[in-house]
Amino acid sequence: MFSLYKKEVQSYFCSPFAFVISALFLFVFSLSFISGISNMDSSVMKFSFSNIFYNGFFYFIFMIPLLTMRTFAEERKSKTETLWLSAPITVPQVVFAKFLAVATVFLLMMVLSLFFPLVVQLKGNVIVSSLICGYLGFFLWSLVCIAVGMMMSALTDNPIIAAVLGEASMILLVFLDNFTTTDLVQSVPVLSKVLTWFSTEVRFGAFSQGLFSLADLVFFISLTLVVLVWTVIVIEKRRWSRG
Amino acid sequence: MNTVLRIQPVRVSRLTVLRVTGGQETKGAYIYMVEIQNLTKYYGLHPAVQDISFTVGDHEVLGFLGPNGAGKSTTMNMITGCLPSTSGTVLVDGYDIAKDPMEVKKRIGYLPEIPPVYPEMRVRDYLTFAAGLKKVPSSERKKQVENAMERLRITDVQRRIIGNLSKGYRQRVGFAQALLGNPKFLILDEPTVGLDPTQVMEVRSLIQDLAREHTIIFSTHILAEVTAVCQRVVIINKGKIRAVDTIANLQRSTGDDLRLKLKVEGDMTKVSAIIGDVPGIKAIEEVTVESAGVNAFTVAIESEDVRKPLMTALISADCMVLEITAVQASLEDAFVKITGSGKQSREEAFEELGREMDAQREAEEAAKAEATDAANGKEDKD
Repeated sequence: MFSLYKKEVQSYFCSPFAFVISALFLFVFSLSFISGISNMDSSVMKFSFSNIFYNGFFYFIFMIPLLTMRTFAEERKSKTETLWLSAPITVPQVVFAKFLAVATVFLLMMVLSLFFPLVVQLKGNVIVSSLICGYLGFFLWSLVCIAVGMMMSALTDNPIIAAVLGEASMILLVFLDNFTTTDLVQSVPVLSKVLTWFSTEVRFGAFSQGLFSLADLVFFISLTLVVLVWTVIVIEKRRWSRG
Repeated sequence: MNTVLRIQPVRVSRLTVLRVTGGQETKGAYIYMVEIQNLTKYYGLHPAVQDISFTVGDHEVLGFLGPNGAGKSTTMNMITGCLPSTSGTVLVDGYDIAKDPMEVKKRIGYLPEIPPVYPEMRVRDYLTFAAGLKKVPSSERKKQVENAMERLRITDVQRRIIGNLSKGYRQRVGFAQALLGNPKFLILDEPTVGLDPTQVMEVRSLIQDLAREHTIIFSTHILAEVTAVCQRVVIINKGKIRAVDTIANLQRSTGDDLRLKLKVEGDMTKVSAIIGDVPGIKAIEEVTVESAGVNAFTVAIESEDVRKPLMTALISADCMVLEITAVQASLEDAFVKITGSGKQSREEAFEELGREMDAQREAEEAAKAEATDAANGKEDKD
């Protein structure tokens, strides 16, 4: 399993792929940073890094499908999946290794963005605990997105379609929160309650405010696991129904 | 050199296999390297493979022969566990692919039709990765990778990116991957497709070389390849097994008539008359002019005993015989006959063949029932 993980991480850096996406990530991040500091309230001179993620995650979720779109779709297209299907490794192990690899690449991108807090630290004051909390929240949230993106990649053999499906489902996930507040849903209290359980935005919002709660941590991790298990089922199902 | 064991005749589809090469006898029961029973695969309602059963002995090279779209790749995918079967079992080294997939997968090396190589990786990195995937201990990985590269002669391209390699090289990288982890059983799906003639020869000799340590199934639609490498063939068409037999038996079962090719010096009509007068000659099928005064005759004969009177007749008539050769029915004939082309519909041809072979087998079975060994000797009898 470790070999597969290593190979997956390497393959992102074999091509300019990971570098281009990291560049895009940093580009979006720095733009948000600049607009954040230039719009600072001059009386308090306070600025939240977590807000960059919170306000800009609409941009960031477009990057995760780009990272995950190739995971399974490409393998099916080029028929390389027979390699791990015929090797002594189980499908859950493959899914988990690939998931860890994408998470690692994404983590590296986030580490690169730490450059901005470091610069700020030189001239000002950074509240480290709040920063960590914001980063952790964003990372947990992106783990869910990575799992969803991988599942979409397992559904099709075309990476572009996988990316589009991934983006669509992530947008749905983001707007689930807005959806629960509509009159239509509010009129059915049970539905609204159930949907609120699954909405990620509130929980992410709490993290970005610097509020760490174990319940939210468990929520994100279990949601990720559920989607990963689903991915395994999708792959197994494909194997059974068609070659 | 493989040993030949006499075992209980095994019922395979409608046909019966009397002879299995190689293998090992354990606790009285014969253990095959690979045992496939009633394997069936449906894609929706369309049957891709139907009720396939055959066995492969230890250190045997089995050719898996069939026209394109016959179900070869589907069967191979099922043996390797890439594709679950609709019904039927596959046992590799005694382990069931459905129940013990890990144990089976540790024992197989698979080269699919399209080599599963990642174009963005370098040859060496790819092979190291594949070795890791096959659970080769990290201390042995380097050695095994180098070994595999040497065998496939790709050591000189080890630093290159696979995507930039030619088709032949990519195929060989895929082949090298199959050898990693030293699997007992190799499954090669059309290993020579896309290779140039020299490479084809190399791969064939490699397969023969590998047969010393491994059991091999390889599929192909090229007949010459089967004759060159295999001991036994399974012929499959439209998802069903048409024949499981040794190459020699297949050739024999197809050739209805024995044929001789004679090169004789002398007048064509005169020589034809002499040949035609010899008892036991069925027909002169073809006469070609080789050079001035030399003609080549293709003659159908009843039995090999006719050769002697034929030669005597020709020589006593002062006709110089320059060359005499027996024309062997080729495997091509067997293949065409078995996979059925010609005036009959395919289905009819298969059924007829099935009946013929069944009858023949039964007769042979009765004759050979008492024999305890020397299967080879028996076969050479006729």
